[in-house]
Amino acid sequence: MKKPASKQPMKKLAVKAKAKTSVKTSGKTGKRPAAKLDAVTLEVIRNALPAVANEMAADLQRTSYNMMIYEVRDFCTALIDPQGELISQNVGGVSHFVADLGVIITDGMKRYGAKGFKPGDVIITNHQAVAGQHLNNVVIYSPYFYKGELLMFTMVRAHWIDIGGMSTGFGAGPQVADPWFEGLQLDQLKIYNSGVLDDTLYRLIKDNIRFPESSLGDMKSQMAACRLAARRMDELFDKYGRETILRAINTIFDETERKCRNVVQALPDGVYEASASIDDDGVVKGEPVPIHVKVTIAGGGMTIDLSGCSLERKAAINSRTLAGARVAYKALTGPLDPVNEGSFRALDIIIPEGSIMMARFPAPMAGWSAIVPTVVDTIVAALAKAMPEKVPAGHHGLLGGAVVFFGLHPKTKKRFVVQSLEGGGWGGRPFEDGESGTVSVCQGDVRNGSIEGIELKCPVVVEKRGFRTDSCGAGKYRGGLGIDMQVRNLVEGHWNFEQTRRTKCPPWGLWDGTPGDTGSYLLRLPKETDFKETAGARLPVPVGASAIVRTGGGGGWGNPLERETEKVRHDVREELISSDAARELYGVVIGKDLTIDEAATSKLRKEMQSKTNHTKGD
Amino acid sequence: MIVVAIDIGGTFTDLIGFDDRAKRFVEAKSLTTPSHLVQGIIDCIRKSGLEAGAIDELIHGSTIAINTLIERKGAKTALIVTKGTRDVYAIGRGNRPEAYNLLFKRHLPLVPRHLTIEVDERMLASGEVHRELQRSDVEAACDTLKKEGVEAVAVCFLHSYLSPDHERQAGAIVANAMPDAYLSLSHNILREYREFERTSTTVVNAYIGPKVGGYVKSLNANLAEVGFRGDLSIMRSNGGVMTPEVAQERPAAMMESGPVGGIIAGARVGQALGIGNVISFDMGGTTAKASLIRDGEPTMAPGYYVGGYASGHPVMIPMIDVVEVGAGGGSIAWLDDIGALKVGPQSAGADPGPICYRGGGTSPTITDANVVLGRLDPDNFLGGQMKLDAEGAAAGIKRVIADPLGMTTTEAAKAIVEIAINKMSLAVREVSVEKGYDPRDFALVASGGAGPLHVLAIARELHIPKVIVPLFPSHFSALGMLLADERHDFIRTSYHDLASVDFGNLVEVHEEMAKEAMAGLRHAKGAELQVHLDLRYVGQEFTLQVPVTLAQLKKGDRRAIRTQFDALYEHRYAHHSPDEAVEMVNIRLAVVGKRPRLKFPSLKASTKAKPERTRKVYLADPNKAVSCPVYKRPSLGAGIRIVGPALIEEHGTTTVLYQGDVCKVAPSGELIITVKGAK
Repeated sequence: MKKPASKQPMKKLAVKAKAKTSVKTSGKTGKRPAAKLDAVTLEVIRNALPAVANEMAADLQRTSYNMMIYEVRDFCTALIDPQGELISQNVGGVSHFVADLGVIITDGMKRYGAKGFKPGDVIITNHQAVAGQHLNNVVIYSPYFYKGELLMFTMVRAHWIDIGGMSTGFGAGPQVADPWFEGLQLDQLKIYNSGVLDDTLYRLIKDNIRFPESSLGDMKSQMAACRLAARRMDELFDKYGRETILRAINTIFDETERKCRNVVQALPDGVYEASASIDDDGVVKGEPVPIHVKVTIAGGGMTIDLSGCSLERKAAINSRTLAGARVAYKALTGPLDPVNEGSFRALDIIIPEGSIMMARFPAPMAGWSAIVPTVVDTIVAALAKAMPEKVPAGHHGLLGGAVVFFGLHPKTKKRFVVQSLEGGGWGGRPFEDGESGTVSVCQGDVRNGSIEGIELKCPVVVEKRGFRTDSCGAGKYRGGLGIDMQVRNLVEGHWNFEQTRRTKCPPWGLWDGTPGDTGSYLLRLPKETDFKETAGARLPVPVGASAIVRTGGGGGWGNPLERETEKVRHDVREELISSDAARELYGVVIGKDLTIDEAATSKLRKEMQSKTNHTKGD
Repeated sequence: MIVVAIDIGGTFTDLIGFDDRAKRFVEAKSLTTPSHLVQGIIDCIRKSGLEAGAIDELIHGSTIAINTLIERKGAKTALIVTKGTRDVYAIGRGNRPEAYNLLFKRHLPLVPRHLTIEVDERMLASGEVHRELQRSDVEAACDTLKKEGVEAVAVCFLHSYLSPDHERQAGAIVANAMPDAYLSLSHNILREYREFERTSTTVVNAYIGPKVGGYVKSLNANLAEVGFRGDLSIMRSNGGVMTPEVAQERPAAMMESGPVGGIIAGARVGQALGIGNVISFDMGGTTAKASLIRDGEPTMAPGYYVGGYASGHPVMIPMIDVVEVGAGGGSIAWLDDIGALKVGPQSAGADPGPICYRGGGTSPTITDANVVLGRLDPDNFLGGQMKLDAEGAAAGIKRVIADPLGMTTTEAAKAIVEIAINKMSLAVREVSVEKGYDPRDFALVASGGAGPLHVLAIARELHIPKVIVPLFPSHFSALGMLLADERHDFIRTSYHDLASVDFGNLVEVHEEMAKEAMAGLRHAKGAELQVHLDLRYVGQEFTLQVPVTLAQLKKGDRRAIRTQFDALYEHRYAHHSPDEAVEMVNIRLAVVGKRPRLKFPSLKASTKAKPERTRKVYLADPNKAVSCPVYKRPSLGAGIRIVGPALIEEHGTTTVLYQGDVCKVAPSGELIITVKGAK
């Protein structure tokens, strides 16, 4: 095998200044001259670059120590050039990592200068002034040198299980008033200097986080993934040469941009708007957090303006992120293609400083991603008129249902944490029903915890994981169903029932579809007979309580009265909807023997239709 | 002794037989007739000229299991589950691997919700009974299912991998109430934790059970009718064979029985040549597959997703690890909307096929590119049985690729082939480097109709120094079936810290599994038992399968096991943590019953090879054809040495040697090629 990059002699450190306009604000194409490459080399490099990032991801996932990485896939791996442009990124995992990587590098370059990086350096950072996410998302990156020249950075951003502060994971909720409550802040620090570990820093981290063996194990995995990428890049550069690779990267950016433009070009020019809201920020109760998006399409370019969203809050749901706009744009322009800087060049994003999504340090960001899925969905909804054949109705729209129950096992004296993320319903689509029980638009390959796996590790019994009948919005194509996950604790412990809520803005229907039901948390204490809606962080519960983590359903697409009666009957038979819902929402009368009363149905549907027409007429 | 293997593929049914006494191979090929598969087999035997009564052993691999699932033509199936888990099968893991796709698809359950019935029972992870099984619930379920006309029933209870009692009891009730229904109990199919994956595997087994089981039964009966008195064995996805009885109970185990044949053959060919480390590379009409063989042993995967990870059905039955890419002879070359040249994954298949097949295909394919480059001889395809349309192929490539890209036709053809080679190289690389192996330490064994055409370019791309083109490269899967051993894989979840594992208990579990395995073996004498423990650092999810010996288990040799784990971890991920606690998740047992080894005849030696003719072929330079000698493989004796550029043609494939590649014919008949410039 080749020598690792870090051992190569360092002759000169040169970073070519590229004529560069701002990524965020430019919609112009072709900023760098791209000489013609032969089709084969270009295609080979196009396939090779994402393969490197994916190999990093596979490596990290298999060697990591915490379920946020191996099950929730809460990480990303990337190659970034010294200007902060994204060369390639892994596919899958948590979607909102598709943004906010370049800023880490431009900031690092500002701090250290191109000459401040040496082979064998490893930098650790999570500081919110630039990183803009919760502190658990720790970035590890290394400079990559080829023949002594700094050509790119290899980077892994991953969710550590603990970063100190008030509580492990998300336990603290929106009440975390500032970053010092939240945990350890690491601001572009070299944990390895030319291959030498900074032992002081290492021990400082070790002593200030709760599960050092897990998180520092993850750090090792992050570094190993970066080293792997360097080896792969050495092989590529050796084979094709510096000029060819760099030229190919530029061409790939340009071509990717052109592909995205082609999609947007086909949409009618215009200004499209939509709104949504979160019930409250968790601190100021009862005051909604508004989300408003304005999307302008003009000649193949798209501008997503989030100026209408809430200002930054005193609650920990702020962030500095372009993820909301980028995830939506990616989903609409080329969801299955690998991501690179070109994927977003034809997108302008406007988020004013001081917005909830461009919050200024030290605004609290512990729950940074909580509102992002709703933002994405609102952008998508705004474009329903522009691309009616591609836009589904609203989905459950939340990162939850987070199952978080923790405590100390009285027998083993070991801490345990039950963790799982339950999916909810997705919106009906222009040609079929929405999927049920699936994670949000910001979570990709995020898997729930298996019941057997949870029970093997933790003293609980999962009493139910099942669909909620009638939780779906009605439509010609109905929404998917939400889930009830019911857990009984065999030892005392604490539940976290803190989550973003959207009871006042449930997952919306489209084109006369009705909204889906929203999610919640319910608790039944021992000796009680009924479950009651509950909220709160770190809620102590005695032995033998049961909790339900409930997720919402998706909105319906199209007029429910136009749904084929046979489909309605099918849903009743499958107990996805009740026969009451069939009658009241779809106008389909179904007998006990599951036969459709055609005459009654036809009459009822006519009545309902004329009532809607009447309402519309008003 | 006469041993015959029959491999039913998508297009052809292949037969290869070997007569031990006469030292003679028999081959036959016939078109696959999907509606009359058994008849196709009987026809193929007839075509081969073999007397059914003279055949001692017949090994069979078939796509029937996978096709029944993919085409969703299985039985009306019901599922009986623990109370509270009715939707576990539909919910799955709740994930969306296509992260940005708003219109993603989840797996489509094979059992509707109204045929998924909960019964009151509950086991705990500790093995204790939490709630007794309510037998009346099961009886009521059976009444409902009978009325519904259900043909197959799967039963999957929580923690049955550990405590199967309730599943057994429920199974007995179902068997009694519904004697005609096909029944699969999850602990019989997979004794591993993770209820969704176990349920899916069990449901798949039940769903395909009646059809596949019926097929095996009728094959047995029909063979008997034509006089066959020998042993019938069925190829399974783990690279071994099983008796028809086992196959009827576990049809899901034969899901990938076709492709793995070639991998077994690759392993055996390597071993016979004294090369333990080989990568088997098979390229057919629609896909290319690569698999890694170390020390003569194929690598195993714990299972896979039928229909792809994003929306497929998990079937967690150990199988040979294969990486597949959509690059086969029929893969279509096309330009995307920004004019980038792409190859595959769409395939022209057999119908309409590549342009040059004259079947009405209009999209240029990899095969068309090879014809244009002169690497495939239009007049000698399939021994001249099928005359190819070279002009049509050239015109298609010119129109679709060359003109829009401003290239010459041969430049475009070469670009198509090179992009395909790169894709396949990534697959070969994936099976090696991602497991911590350097492909340069392996020899590449090429098979399939298109394998030998491309293999030397792939080897060069990956710096692999040695390539083997075996005998019968286009019947390689069937050849592998001739050589496969009997094999059964068992798994049991047993979750403990390595420090506190009760080894006495493990040894008991081992005995229990071994007993069950031996009962299903035909070749029990001298059977080999391979034990693995699935280990990980405490806190991790993914495990490594660490090979251990029964002696280590009996001695409770924690330290040796630990050391092996750390070493494997280091090898795989380039770091390890000797101070951290290790936990055990599963114990695995593979039982291999050795079938008698066949001794193939060796080739007569000869010293000089005479090319049959020369042909103009485009190799390195797409604008300048070189004059290339063409050899007929059957005319090459042992010891012959050929230096590239050269083509070696045989029925069903052509080996392309580039400038400087050196091919030697082994005494056993394989082409052993030293790749120029590697290493």
